[in-house]
Amino acid sequence: MSVLVTRDVHKTFGTQPVLNGVSFTADKSEVIAIIGPSGSGKSTFLRTLNGLEKVDRGSIKVLGRDVANATDLSRIRGKVGFVFQGFNLFSHLTILQNVMLAPIRVLKLKRAEAERLALQLLSRVGIAEHAGKYPSQISGGQQQRAAIARTLALQPEIVLFDEPTSALDPEMTAEVLDVLRELAKSGLTMLVVTHEMGFAREVASRIVFFDQGKIVADDQPRAFFENSENPRLKLFLSRILKH
Amino acid sequence: MKQLIHLGFAFAAIAVIFLILNFALPLCPEPIGSRADLFITGAKLTLVLTFYAGVIGLLLGTLAGVAKLQKNLLLRGVATFYTWLFRGTPLLVQILFIYFALPVVSPSFQFDEQTAAIIALALNVGAYNAEAIRGGLIAVPKGQTEAAVSLGLSPVQTLVWITLPQAFRISIPPLVSNLVALLKDSSLASSIGLLELSLVGNRVSSETFSPVPVLLTVAGIYLVITSVLTAAALPLEKKVRGEK
Repeated sequence: MSVLVTRDVHKTFGTQPVLNGVSFTADKSEVIAIIGPSGSGKSTFLRTLNGLEKVDRGSIKVLGRDVANATDLSRIRGKVGFVFQGFNLFSHLTILQNVMLAPIRVLKLKRAEAERLALQLLSRVGIAEHAGKYPSQISGGQQQRAAIARTLALQPEIVLFDEPTSALDPEMTAEVLDVLRELAKSGLTMLVVTHEMGFAREVASRIVFFDQGKIVADDQPRAFFENSENPRLKLFLSRILKH
Repeated sequence: MKQLIHLGFAFAAIAVIFLILNFALPLCPEPIGSRADLFITGAKLTLVLTFYAGVIGLLLGTLAGVAKLQKNLLLRGVATFYTWLFRGTPLLVQILFIYFALPVVSPSFQFDEQTAAIIALALNVGAYNAEAIRGGLIAVPKGQTEAAVSLGLSPVQTLVWITLPQAFRISIPPLVSNLVALLKDSSLASSIGLLELSLVGNRVSSETFSPVPVLLTVAGIYLVITSVLTAAALPLEKKVRGEK
């Protein structure tokens, strides 16, 4: 069952084309890694999927709803979580308050109920002991895990991860990837823009390669890495796998 | 909420000042000591004007600062006109206009001296606060808004729960300096006959022919109050810098 379908999505920043006709489908419980060189449009594409970026042309349907032309996105956004490269935790709130905010304000849960849910999620990502701290008082890896918990608090059906480990050192990257692995097993539909090839190969059910605003390759991990015919993908992989 | 608690602290500190003045002023040599009551009444009125105008001005400034950043042309236009008008004309003229001219325009705008002064002071400080709040709102990182809307918060919820609380923290230094300016500017209320601190000074000084001690006392009282206000804001500013 397709939970996310885009057709011929176009997007331009000024005169610079970023997305040149992206058609893409994701099924329920798929874990899709999106890779590609910087500026290839992969993050922009992810941001169009919950309406953070408006598209110029094309259609986007998420869970059966039209995102490209929606006027009120808040309902669909509750079902589609977004995890940012820079975490974007609310700096004036504690970790617990960060996770409780949307359940209280959007889902209209009672405070006690929201707190129980939040603490449960924080222990799931392994940072329950930091619940009372402010974002600036914990490490980047802990912040990203808190941001994931914050997103999960809405019980989304799809979560979009925009380079969730790019701002982290290797040790913290590992702890965040562990959380992603666990989520992938739980059956959540995930789209992960990433540079972590090992993670993509091991966890993703599909890998999508973006180049110059287009999807150039889209395959199962094994086939993707072994039989890549596309010269641009070959070049990209040879560069990235050398390191 | 924490901001309000801090504001409460600030005014509690001022109450402490009154206790000090109540005991210290009567002990001063002539011609101050025997007229201590007069100085205290004046200082009280100064603080009353500052308090009401400060609270209303913060509200006005928040509304106007938010409105100035809206896409809606009408909202933005009204807010821009308001700040342009009240920052571009002298406060003295504003006070005189509201007290003397507005009742001529329409009898329903007839205010007593104190109300007229509070309205003028609030409108004036509100225009300056609007710029401080607007600056604070602009300084909130874009990622905060993106995270909020990604969680399904509406634009109004995002403003109320995410951007405004952060903007207030950023705007504290300019807001405090506007408050200090307001306290001193409240002396212009004397122009419509309100016996606030500086008019007390003026009267006592001409009555006693001793301007030096009298005006020094008045200036000293202002200094004590502004110092307390600034000091009360310090922990807030520290918080802004992340020194919790």
